[in-house]
Amino acid sequence: MNAAEQEIQNAVREAFSALEAATTTQQIKEIEQAFLGKSGQIVQFAKRMGALPKEERPAFGAAVNGAKQEVQGRLDARAATILEAELARQFEEEAIDVTMPGRRTRRGNSHILHQTTLRIKQVLSGLGFVYEEGPELEEFRYNFDALNYPPDHPAMDDQDTFYVSDDQVLRTQCTGLQGRVFEKTAPPLRVFTVGRTFRNEAVDRTHNHTFHQVDCFMVDEGVSMADLKGTLGAFARAMFGPEVTVRFRPDFFPFVEPGVDYAISSPKLFGGRWVELGGAGLIHPNILERYGIDTERYSGFAFGLGVERIPMMAYGVDDLRNFLENDLRFLDQFQRQPIRGLA
Amino acid sequence: MKISYSLLKTLVNTSLTAEALGDLLTMAGFELEEIETVNGAPVLDIKVMSNRGDGLSAFGLAREILAKDGSSTPTDLYRRAAAHFADVSLPVGPAFEVRIETPSCSRFSAMRIENVTNGPSPDWLSEALLQIGQRPISVLVDLTNYVMLELGQPLHAFDADRLGDTIVVREARDGEKLTTLNGTEHTLAAGQLMICDAVRPVGVAGVMGGLDTEVHEGTHRIVLESAHFLNRTVRKTRKQLGLNTEASYRFERSVDPNGVVSAQRRFAELLLAIQPSAQVFEATDLYRLPASDLSISLRLIRASRLLGMSISVEEAARYFTALGFSIQIEGEQLAVTLPSWRPDIVREEDLVEELGRIHGYEQIPETLPSGTSVLGGVWGRYAATDRLIEAAISAGYSQVINHSLQGTSPLDAAAERVGPRNPSSPDLAFLRNGLLSGMAVTARLNGGRDVHLAEVGRVFTAGKESVHLCLVSNGDLHVPDRASETPPKADFFSLKADILDIFLAVGIELDLAAGSRDPRFHPGRQARLTRNGQEIGVIGEIHPTVANELGLAPRTLAAEVSLDAIFAEGDAELPLKSFARFPAVRRDIALLVSKAVPFAEIEGRLRRSIGPLLERLWLFDVFVGTGIPAGSHSLGIALVMRKPDGSFTDEEANQLRDAAVAELAELGATMR
Repeated sequence: MNAAEQEIQNAVREAFSALEAATTTQQIKEIEQAFLGKSGQIVQFAKRMGALPKEERPAFGAAVNGAKQEVQGRLDARAATILEAELARQFEEEAIDVTMPGRRTRRGNSHILHQTTLRIKQVLSGLGFVYEEGPELEEFRYNFDALNYPPDHPAMDDQDTFYVSDDQVLRTQCTGLQGRVFEKTAPPLRVFTVGRTFRNEAVDRTHNHTFHQVDCFMVDEGVSMADLKGTLGAFARAMFGPEVTVRFRPDFFPFVEPGVDYAISSPKLFGGRWVELGGAGLIHPNILERYGIDTERYSGFAFGLGVERIPMMAYGVDDLRNFLENDLRFLDQFQRQPIRGLA
Repeated sequence: MKISYSLLKTLVNTSLTAEALGDLLTMAGFELEEIETVNGAPVLDIKVMSNRGDGLSAFGLAREILAKDGSSTPTDLYRRAAAHFADVSLPVGPAFEVRIETPSCSRFSAMRIENVTNGPSPDWLSEALLQIGQRPISVLVDLTNYVMLELGQPLHAFDADRLGDTIVVREARDGEKLTTLNGTEHTLAAGQLMICDAVRPVGVAGVMGGLDTEVHEGTHRIVLESAHFLNRTVRKTRKQLGLNTEASYRFERSVDPNGVVSAQRRFAELLLAIQPSAQVFEATDLYRLPASDLSISLRLIRASRLLGMSISVEEAARYFTALGFSIQIEGEQLAVTLPSWRPDIVREEDLVEELGRIHGYEQIPETLPSGTSVLGGVWGRYAATDRLIEAAISAGYSQVINHSLQGTSPLDAAAERVGPRNPSSPDLAFLRNGLLSGMAVTARLNGGRDVHLAEVGRVFTAGKESVHLCLVSNGDLHVPDRASETPPKADFFSLKADILDIFLAVGIELDLAAGSRDPRFHPGRQARLTRNGQEIGVIGEIHPTVANELGLAPRTLAAEVSLDAIFAEGDAELPLKSFARFPAVRRDIALLVSKAVPFAEIEGRLRRSIGPLLERLWLFDVFVGTGIPAGSHSLGIALVMRKPDGSFTDEEANQLRDAAVAELAELGATMR
C-alpha cells in the first residue's frame, strides 16, 4: 500500500468513526459534506490524479472510487437508522389523546317535518306526480264548494274553521288545490302537495290548530280504486318499509266517491295492527263535472294524510305540539335517524 | 253509537262473535271503535258515517251484516220490521187533529194510547238500556228509547191530558217560550221548528219534548209522536237552542220517512206485551210528501272498471237485494230503485261504492296507474325554496317551523295584518306578517343566546300571501373548544356573509343598501336587502330595547327576505367564466379615510379603476387608534390581479394600484 492509498484508508476510517459518533440527520449531512461534498476529503483525492504517473492512475482512481462508495454506503445506512430513530422520537412526542373531543365548525339541523316532506316529495315524484302548492289563506269556494261540500256541512262552522272573512278561510285541508289545478290544467294530470292546514280546535297531545298534510291526486282515463291502492301501497312501503300492506275501509268524505279510509299494517310496526293513515277515494264526479271534465272518459283518485303522523308513527313521538314548538332538544334528535324509520 | 250484541242477535241469526261482527261492520263502513263488556255481555261501539243515518239502529246495522255475510240469516223480527210491522193490527180511535204548517215536516203521525200506567220498566227493558249506558226512567220513556235503538225512528210520548186535542207542526213565532224537559226555558225565534198544541209550543221538533207535557208517574193517556223532519231545519233549530239529543242526532243525518208508523206499531206491540190492558189506537198519519221511488241505472262494466275488480251481474243483484234495493237486470246494466232510507245515493258512482263496499275492498288488487305519465317532481320555485333552506342549514342554521297564527310582537312587520275573525285566544288573533316575530320566540325558547335559526314559510298581509326566508343569529359562531375558548361572535357581518351566500347557492345575488330606518333594528346597524335595485328584505341587529323585551341576548342579528320577486324572475343562467393560468400578483394598500365614507364607495372605485384584471379584493384590516385622527380609520385592502394572457411585471401592477388609489383621492382617502 503506498502512502496515498494509506491516506485514503485513513480518510475512510475517519469518516466511519464520524458516522459512528453521529446521532442526528444534521450531523450526517455535515459528514457527507466533509467527505463526499465538492470539497470533501475523499473527493479532493481525485484532484491529485493529474500529478500521478500515468501507470498509477487507474489503481489510484479505483481506490478513490472504492473509498467513495464505501463511505456513501455506510453513510446511507447510518442516515436511515438515525432517521428512523428521529421519526420514532417525533411520533412519540406528537402522539395525541384520540379520546379528546373532536372539533367542529357549526352545523345546522333540518326540521323533522322538512325531512319527512323531502322524503314524501322524493317518493311521489318518483311515482310521476308533480309538486304544486296552493295558498294557505284559501278562498271559501276552493276549500268547500269546489270539494262538493253540501252548503250546510258542519265543517264550515266558525267553531271548526278559521274564517278571515266570509269568503276566505285558513284552509282546512290541502285538497283545495284540486279546484285550482283543474281550472288551469286539463287531464291527464298527476299532482301532489304538502302544506299547512288549520282547524279551530282545542290543542292537546294529539290535536293542534295547525298541522301539515300531503294531498295527492290524479285524473286520467281508466283510473281505478286498484290504481289508488297500488299507488298508496308503493307510497306506504317507501315511507314505512317493504313489508307494509294497505287496507281500505269504506268511509265518507264529500270529495270522493267511493270514499275510503286507508290503513297500513306491517309485521314490524305497531305489533302488526292496522293503523289508519288518512282518507282516499275516487274524485267525486260532481267535482270533475264542475270543472268540465268528462266523467265518462276520465276518472281520478285522491288521497291525503297528515305529515306529522309519519314521524309520530315511525319514531313514537307522542305529542303533536312538539313539532311546531321547535325546542332544539327535540328537533336535534332526528339528525341521526334514517327517515325511513323502522323499515 | 253503542249497540249490544244481544240486540243485534234479535234481528240476525248468526254464529259470528261480537268481535267478528265488529270487523264485518268495520269493513262495511261502520267502524267498530271498541267492544265493552257490560254485565258480562258484549256491547259494540260503532262509528256511523255522517251520511249513513240508516246505520243508527240495530235494524240498519243488521241489514249491513246480512248483506255482507252469507252465513247470517234474518230473524222473524227482522222480517217483520222490514214489512213495517204491518201484522200489528189496531183499532181506529177517535179522530185527532194534526196540522202541518211547514215544508220542513214531511210526515207526522200521532198515536193515541189509553189506560196505561207509567211505572218502572220490566227488567229486560231496563237491562237493555243500562247495557248501552242509558238510565231507565219509566216504561213509557224507556220504550220510546228502545224502539229508537231498534229501528232508528225517534218517538216522543206526550201526556195526553196535558196536551190539547190538536197538534200543529209549525215554525215558532218570535218571543214564544218553551221549557224543554231538561228544565231549560227557551225564548224562541222565528224559523225554529216546533211541535205545538192549538196555542203554544210543546216540543222542539225532532229534538226534545216540553217539560209541561212530559209523561209522569200519574200519566194514563198518551199521544205517541212519530214524525219525519228536514235534517237542515232540525240542525239549525237545535244549534240555536243549544240542544243535542239522540233524536236530533238521527234527524240531522237521516231517518227513513217510511218507518214512521212502523215504529209506533212496534211500540204498541211491546207496550201491549207489558201492559195487556192498554188501549192502543191506529195512528193518525199525515204523510204530506211521500218519498218517491228513485231509480238509477248502473253499468256493471263501468263499476268494475272504476273499482278495479270485476263483479258479476248475479253478485251485484244479490248485494243490492240484501241492502233493500229493488233491481231490474237489463243485460250488463241494472236499474236500481233506491229504498227510502238511503237519501245518500243520488248517482251511479254512489251505487258503484255500494257494490265495492259489499263485495269487499280487500278484493281490490294493487296496480299502478297506466296511461299518460308526465314528468313528476319538484320544480321551479318549489325546488329553489327547498335548496334555499338546505343552503341555510349547510351554513349552520337550524331549521325551525313556526305557527302562522300568532299574537302581537314588537317584531311584527309594518304591513297591515289579517287574522281570523273568530280567534279562540289572543295568541291566535293574527296571521304572521313576517317570520321574525315567531323566530324570536323560538330563539328565546332555546335559551336566547348562541342560537342560529332559519325558517322558510308563508306570511300574510291584507290581500297577499308570500314566502319568506328568515335567519336569526346570536352569540358564539361555533361551540367553544380547546382551539378557541372564546369563539367569534355573530355580528352584522357574519350574518351578511351568510344571507348573501345562501342566496348565491341558488344563483341569486343580493345587494345591501344603507339607509334602512326600521324601528325593529339598531338605527346604526341595519340595511335593506335588494335584488336588482328592488328592496326585498332587511338585515340588522335587533334593537337592544326590543331584544331585551323579548328575552333575547344582546346583539341578536336577523335578516328576512321575501322570495316573491325572486320567484317572479324566472330561470337564471349560470355564467361560467374561463380562467387564466398565469400567476397573480397581490398589492396591499393601507388607506386613511373618514369613517363617513362607505366602504362600498371605495370598493366600487377600486373595481372600476382596475377593471376585469382585478380578480379579488378584500378588506383585511380596519384600524383605529394611535396615529389615526378621530373620525377616521385605516383600511387595509388586498388587491389580487391577474392577466389572462401573461404575467404581470412589478411595474405594471404598481401602476394599476397607483391609478386606482388616485381615484380615491376625491373621497379624501390617503395612503398611509
